[in-house]
Amino acid sequence: MRKRILSSLVTVGRWFRRTGVAGQILSLVIVIGVFAIGTKGKYLALANLQVILSLAGIPAILAIGLHQTIVLGAIDLSVEGVVGLCIVFVGILMRNQYGPYDVGLWIIPITLGVGGAAGVVSGLVNAKLKIPSFISTLGMSWTLYGIAIYISKATTVPLLDHRIQSVVNGNISGIPNIAIIALVLLIIVQLVQDRTQFGRYIYAIGGDELLAKQAGIKIDRIKIIVFTIAGILYGLSALFLSTRLGSAHPRTGTNLLFPTITASAVGGVALTGGIGGAKNAVLGALIVTALNDGLILMHVNPYVQEAVNGVVLVAAVALTIDRKKLGFIK
Amino acid sequence: MRNLNNMSMKETVITLRGITKIYPGVVALDSVDFAVYENEVVGLVGENGAGKSTLVKIMIGFEQSEAGTITSSTGEHITLKDPVTAIRYGIGMVFQDSSLVPNLSIMENLFLCHELGFQKFGFLSKRSMRDAARSVLEEVKIRVDVDTPISEVSPAVRQMVEIARLLWLSKLYKQKNPILILDEPTTVLNDSERETLFTILQDLKQQASVVLISHRLQEVVENSDRIVILRDGKNVTEMAASDASISETEQLMVGHTFSADRYREGDQTSPGEEVILKVQNLSKKRVFEPIDFTVRKGEIVSLVGLVGSGKEGVCKCITGQEKPDTGSIFLDGKKLSSGSPSNAVGAGVGHIPIDRRNEGLAAAMTVAENVNLLVLKSLRFAGLISPYLERKNAKRWIEECLIKTPSLTTMCANLSGGNQQKTVIAKWLSSHVKLLVLDHPTRGVDVGAKEEIYKLIRKLAKDGIGMVIMCDTLEEDIGLSNRMLVMKDGRLVKELDCPLNEKPSPSDIIDFIV
Repeated sequence: MRKRILSSLVTVGRWFRRTGVAGQILSLVIVIGVFAIGTKGKYLALANLQVILSLAGIPAILAIGLHQTIVLGAIDLSVEGVVGLCIVFVGILMRNQYGPYDVGLWIIPITLGVGGAAGVVSGLVNAKLKIPSFISTLGMSWTLYGIAIYISKATTVPLLDHRIQSVVNGNISGIPNIAIIALVLLIIVQLVQDRTQFGRYIYAIGGDELLAKQAGIKIDRIKIIVFTIAGILYGLSALFLSTRLGSAHPRTGTNLLFPTITASAVGGVALTGGIGGAKNAVLGALIVTALNDGLILMHVNPYVQEAVNGVVLVAAVALTIDRKKLGFIK
Repeated sequence: MRNLNNMSMKETVITLRGITKIYPGVVALDSVDFAVYENEVVGLVGENGAGKSTLVKIMIGFEQSEAGTITSSTGEHITLKDPVTAIRYGIGMVFQDSSLVPNLSIMENLFLCHELGFQKFGFLSKRSMRDAARSVLEEVKIRVDVDTPISEVSPAVRQMVEIARLLWLSKLYKQKNPILILDEPTTVLNDSERETLFTILQDLKQQASVVLISHRLQEVVENSDRIVILRDGKNVTEMAASDASISETEQLMVGHTFSADRYREGDQTSPGEEVILKVQNLSKKRVFEPIDFTVRKGEIVSLVGLVGSGKEGVCKCITGQEKPDTGSIFLDGKKLSSGSPSNAVGAGVGHIPIDRRNEGLAAAMTVAENVNLLVLKSLRFAGLISPYLERKNAKRWIEECLIKTPSLTTMCANLSGGNQQKTVIAKWLSSHVKLLVLDHPTRGVDVGAKEEIYKLIRKLAKDGIGMVIMCDTLEEDIGLSNRMLVMKDGRLVKELDCPLNEKPSPSDIIDFIV
């Protein structure tokens, strides 16, 4: 019996090492432990844990999309612009106080489509025009954000269709729906990464693009698909963000980029590419949310909280990148 | 010769005819013929720049030739437009630096781009991949955990994984006699691994042909059936390995004919008395054993030896790129702090690297900026860099070093290899170095520019700069140097004087090298 337990422990240990989430789970445990003590147990109250899960949902969905571009060896900085534009579509097309339109639940494919289209463009500009993703997606973000503000005139549109809102804010036996949706997406994307040719190619490109090309991988196609998936997930997040608030305002999308990249980095997605998967991105989102929630419960000054996040980002990158292998840091 | 006749009874698997490849400024291959027969190991030898690498790159579709034909065993003319096409014809290469993706596991690398055969219900079955991987690796006799990432396994295992991948792919494409090209396979291996490799290659001969490229002539002669020799991008000869001797092969590789004053020996000066560089008890674990030598003022000291003899390590320690384990380096009697390139440069050690595009100069900067890079301090006027002084200094050295550039502000990237190299030399000349380490200064440079680089090297010597040099060919080493240090397996085995008119012949030295 003891032998069996021991051997299964060894198996679990090996699994942790291989999947590369051991460090992240440990950090999560430490964060929870520290705040549990710091708040004298308040942190562990069911209500608070529900808050953490529900707050982590959207950053997790965004990170599931964004981290794949990092695994490719690129990066996607267009989150805020894409989300902003999608929210404008929500504000115009969903039943609201000002406009004549009501597309009902068709808003779901529409926002996903708008996000996906933005992703296709980002991918095309990066892969076909050979513009570094850092610049192409940064430009994309500002372009789309500009368009979003121009169309919406930066107005806030209260939404009258509450069907999606009730799903987003609801829960199933105590577990927030948004967390369940993130979990489902995590499972799908992780499975694709582990068990399909497409997933394998993302890692091959991130590991060594030139070798991957020589092996016969259609690099451009993979890149465009990855950016498109990211865009679709930003569209989904935009829909959730606006319906959760019950109103559509393009600025809702600001301040999303930093937590998403932090989540990927903290989760162990190496910024040099080729390492880390959806599970890392989601764990990263969970760690960052748990940390911020704890800081709030401890009544830490909000500006200090921002500083803490900055330090966490740099520290996480320092831990995940093997800097010896990099010749130069740019 | 009888062996060669036997060879012609065998079927060819691939025939290359009249292959010509021209790179900007250099004819890399000039109408070269090359055939591979079934079930043989063929050694492809030649000096650096003889065209071996270019030839095999054309065979795997990595490069395309300007002229010539490639014919398969069935007599069909084939076009190899990329490595993916080449492998369909059963031609694959194991590169000097591994061509496996480092973050993927052994298994994932083995089947990269051919995963669909392992699909079950839309998902890849890891179990069937693992089983297949194990049986594929069995053929090359390695037992490893197939889930280990490539970055964590030894170079020997990587090599075997690459070989196994090529064999598996050839089988997948139903090629009966695949061609495995191994480019310098033994440089990354230790002695026992090397032996294993050759045992496996002899085994593989039953089902494949092997093209072996190696600097170590001995292992080529011992392990090949046939040897093909290239020189200056042309066929020299081919012979059965059993008829070949190492020294004869070396001579054929080098060639007999070269002009009397090819290396401007006439300008050779005798060195001064003063010692510029003193290397004392210098050693680095697993690279080279403790070594002592000196370089005098205006002396050209050539380090010769095979790849892996440790000569590169010695040079890297002198220039501060690597930190030695023991010993010290004195420049003009002052001890250099070890492992610091900036300290070495500050003390007056210049370095002309083999990879000038990446290390020698800033390709995206102008000629003038590169020449002035080290002397900016002296080009100041009232504390700021003076454009006038900058132009003046750059002009002076561009003229002195015969750099052919359209203007001072031309990007270095747009110069020819020879002129880039002259720019690197100008940079060091203008900074008044005392010692210069030249790592293959004429690599990838055309004949005319070579001549000018030799001229510059002579001029440096005349100005009293001490030099440590490693050349592309033994001839060049002999021709240029005042003194030669022969290294073998990390040890200094011989010191030879090369005074004017009494130069040793290559064959005198080869015995020490191999």
